Amino acid sequence: MSDQQLQNLIKMINQISANNLHHGDETATAEIVATHLKKFWARSMKAQIIDYAEHGGAELSPISKLAVERLKA
Amino acid sequence: MLHYFDPGKSSFDPNRDLGTPASPSETLVSVSIDGTAISVPEGTSVMRAAALAGITIPKLCASDNLEAFGSCRLCAVQIEGRRGYPASCTTPVAEGMQVTTQNGKLAKLRRNIMELYISDHPLDCLTCPANGNCELQDMAGAVGLREVRYGFSGENHLDAETDDSNPYFSFDPSKCIVCSRCVRACAEVQGTFALTIDGRGFDSKVSPGQNQSFMDSECVSCGACVQACPTSTLMEKSVIEAGQPEHSVITTCAYCGVGCSFKAEMKGDQLVRMVPYKGGDANHGHSCIKGRFAFGYTTHQDRIKEPMIRDSIDQPWRVVSWDEAIGFAARRLKETQAKYGRESIGGITSSRCTNEETFLVQKLIRAAFGNNNTDTCARVCHSPTGYGLKTTLGESAGTQTFDSVMKADTVLVIGANPTDAHPVFGSQIRRRLRQGATLIVADPRRIDLLKTPHADRTMHLALTPGTNVALVNSLAHVVVTEGLEDKAFIEARCEPAAYNAWRAFIAEQRNSPEAMEAVTGVPAEQVRKAARAYATAGNGAIYYGLGVTEHSQGSTMVMGIANLAMATGNIGREGVGVNPLRGQNNVQGSCDMGSFPHELPGYQHVADDTVRGHFEQVWGVKLDNEPGLRIPNMFDAAIAGSFKALYVQGEDIAQSDPNIQHVEAALRSLDCLIVQDIFLNETAKYAHVLLPGSTFLEKNGTFTNAERRINRVRKVVPPLAGKEDWEVTVALSNALGYPMNYTHPSEIMDEIALLTPTFTGVSYEKLERLGSIQWPCNDQFPDGTPTMHTLDFPIGRGHFAITEYVATNERTNRRFPLLLTTGRVLTQYNVGAQTRRTDNSLWHEEDILEIHPSDAEVRGVQEGDWLGISSRAGHTVLRAKISDRMLPGVVFTTFHHPSSGANVVTTDNSDWATNCPEYKVTAVQVEKVSQPSEWQRNFQTFDKRQQAYLEQSQDESASALK
Repeated sequence: MSDQQLQNLIKMINQISANNLHHGDETATAEIVATHLKKFWARSMKAQIIDYAEHGGAELSPISKLAVERLKA
Repeated sequence: MLHYFDPGKSSFDPNRDLGTPASPSETLVSVSIDGTAISVPEGTSVMRAAALAGITIPKLCASDNLEAFGSCRLCAVQIEGRRGYPASCTTPVAEGMQVTTQNGKLAKLRRNIMELYISDHPLDCLTCPANGNCELQDMAGAVGLREVRYGFSGENHLDAETDDSNPYFSFDPSKCIVCSRCVRACAEVQGTFALTIDGRGFDSKVSPGQNQSFMDSECVSCGACVQACPTSTLMEKSVIEAGQPEHSVITTCAYCGVGCSFKAEMKGDQLVRMVPYKGGDANHGHSCIKGRFAFGYTTHQDRIKEPMIRDSIDQPWRVVSWDEAIGFAARRLKETQAKYGRESIGGITSSRCTNEETFLVQKLIRAAFGNNNTDTCARVCHSPTGYGLKTTLGESAGTQTFDSVMKADTVLVIGANPTDAHPVFGSQIRRRLRQGATLIVADPRRIDLLKTPHADRTMHLALTPGTNVALVNSLAHVVVTEGLEDKAFIEARCEPAAYNAWRAFIAEQRNSPEAMEAVTGVPAEQVRKAARAYATAGNGAIYYGLGVTEHSQGSTMVMGIANLAMATGNIGREGVGVNPLRGQNNVQGSCDMGSFPHELPGYQHVADDTVRGHFEQVWGVKLDNEPGLRIPNMFDAAIAGSFKALYVQGEDIAQSDPNIQHVEAALRSLDCLIVQDIFLNETAKYAHVLLPGSTFLEKNGTFTNAERRINRVRKVVPPLAGKEDWEVTVALSNALGYPMNYTHPSEIMDEIALLTPTFTGVSYEKLERLGSIQWPCNDQFPDGTPTMHTLDFPIGRGHFAITEYVATNERTNRRFPLLLTTGRVLTQYNVGAQTRRTDNSLWHEEDILEIHPSDAEVRGVQEGDWLGISSRAGHTVLRAKISDRMLPGVVFTTFHHPSSGANVVTTDNSDWATNCPEYKVTAVQVEKVSQPSEWQRNFQTFDKRQQAYLEQSQDESASALK
């Protein structure tokens, strides 16, 4: 994994979160984001973002963090 | 008695000219022509009624793609009870009418008319390029002209000078009979109004522009005039050179998503000319400069004629046999997977290749590579359409036929430039606008459609790039708050909970045009006016292009458009709908055929066990249930070192994809790049295996256009390097140990029909019978589906999606104060690999930067200056064109020439849902410079080296043959 690749994944997930946030319902949004990742992200991309979240996930937005939690489930 | 209820449909031989257009009336009128009784729709001309009865009336100025004109008088007839000799083209039938088309008086009259024509016409028939296909000659024969009593010494036009300025056709006015067919074709068919008849009486002559040459006039070289000309006055230079063609094959154009049908007119295996086919339901006999004239690339010397391989991109190519090249490629792919794992390789399908070829490439990846790392160039154009329309309407496709626009009352064009990018459909919109429909254009540029002659009702919402969602939300806000919704439609057809949530959201004050004005830059009153015009017109139709999709909120915008259409009930009948204008000939098809990493053919998700099980059973192999990598993800993984081999069919990612330096780095990271293309394109310069592709003239298959219309592509010449593209994929698959045993593309289509619910009823046999089919075509719709969602949506009820406006990260600042947006011009096509190798380059020989006069003035920029364009991603240099069709603060360029490096400047920002690149918004600075950019200088060096490698290999191949 390169830094750039990870940076792009972080940017992508935060962008998905930002675009689905409506009226601040974080739980619902996190669910939408997690579903989106399940449906559209490759296995390796999901593994990388989960790994990043498990190591702190500093740059993930709060909703992105919630979404990754759900992705693991 | 003969009955014709529906003239103009495919029950007539489209090769026949019935003289005047069909009448749409449903009322029938009975007449008798030369004793034959026939009933035809009210409003039909006597000429057309006669033709329908099998009776041919001589004519010169009439043609059934033009309104009757009545100037040549050759079609005069006698009608019982009426005086004189009325022209049958301009005389409509009346109940009980008795017509005589041939008798002594009429014969004499016609001979006299022909005699006058011929008295001012050269008698060089034997050496004339129209010989064998000249309507004037035919009519002279038909009327029995035997002498010209006036002689030829009087005043005449025989010395008129030929205009050879257009590279594709010549204009020889000495042969003109002033029938006005060219002038009317330019006006009625093309809608450009470049031609006129200058002067009166004997002095009348056809004049491009104001007595200019064709090239200097506003002529767009669509060729409609050439096709309309009954003599050799306007004549293709290819026919002048080669002579008349002797046979023709009906096929489908390989340029834009309109998918025009053409007759490829041949002389042996030489293509002499392309003539748009009247029986084609997408184009009805019209075409643009690209489809009609720009086919020279198919025989260009740059074509790759033999397979080639090399171990490293810093080596010359080695010309090898097909077997060796395929063996080499298969071995490299297997070695890569053995070393780096199953997911370390992938492929890209082509939106220029046929459905069958695209289907096979994704099958190869899923079944033989054993992963879902397949993607297609739709990633960078219409992937948001797939996502957005599937979410809202339940199907990833446009809802209408092109013809539907003829019933639209308001046409809303968003982020599309049809007269350049989809010219034949652009002409059709113009036809409707001349009939009085209202046009609303939402675009940062003042596109040419806004300058349609005789279109009186136009509005231009000149929004700031990147603010589409803000605009569509404010349009919907007006609809909802001013009570313009179609409540009955919403109640009957849409999901109530999602609708209520959306309604509450959209009605919020922050979505009002007044609140959004600061964001979009569009005055609120204009937005209100436009929303009312769209919602209350009766039929409102939306057409959109890449100006909608290629944004960070591309998918959101597509959903916003679908919301707007549903809220106003503009779905499910003719004249309305949501219509993505597809860029390439087979973008629709490549998406339908399962090119995306998460979807099997027919938009069926790979995680669906039932669907996957069906495919596994037919393909005899276990399939991965997880989505694969998309193109940008492949690039990232390549740079990271986990993605090592790529098979690319007919797609030039090294020119067309954004942030080129990033793409180049990714391609350099690959251990094995297999490129299948007709030329050494930019991507091929990074390849280890180069497999010769075949052009659309060299293979059988189907393309699917923007109206979901499946059209046949027919082979007219053998493939230059011996294999059609699908045969290459078959060979590669067999070499990889996954057997494919197709002998003809029709067998591939049978497999597609078996696995794709929307294609169940499609077969080559049915395509032969019906001409074309619009999917879905299955038990429910056996002949296809021209208009979608008439009764319900594939997801049951329409889904309103909440479309919150989220500004892009790409913003202007002091360092990058301008916004760059990219697009196309009429004469060039995408990366230009085809059109650059034709005379189309005379119109656009380099990419230029269009800049508003005020931005130019501030920077001291003059027309033609070299301008350095810098963004956060890169730097390139282009020549300046000062243009007031731009908004101040917005600059525009095209990406047709690789050395321009337009995509060096574009960033890797992308649509949140699909990763479709944000080509349309890049913050840039522009300043005067004196030399090409560093990237351009490196490009030149690299290009020179790779061209030399190619030449070396060809020299060696030639000497080996000796």
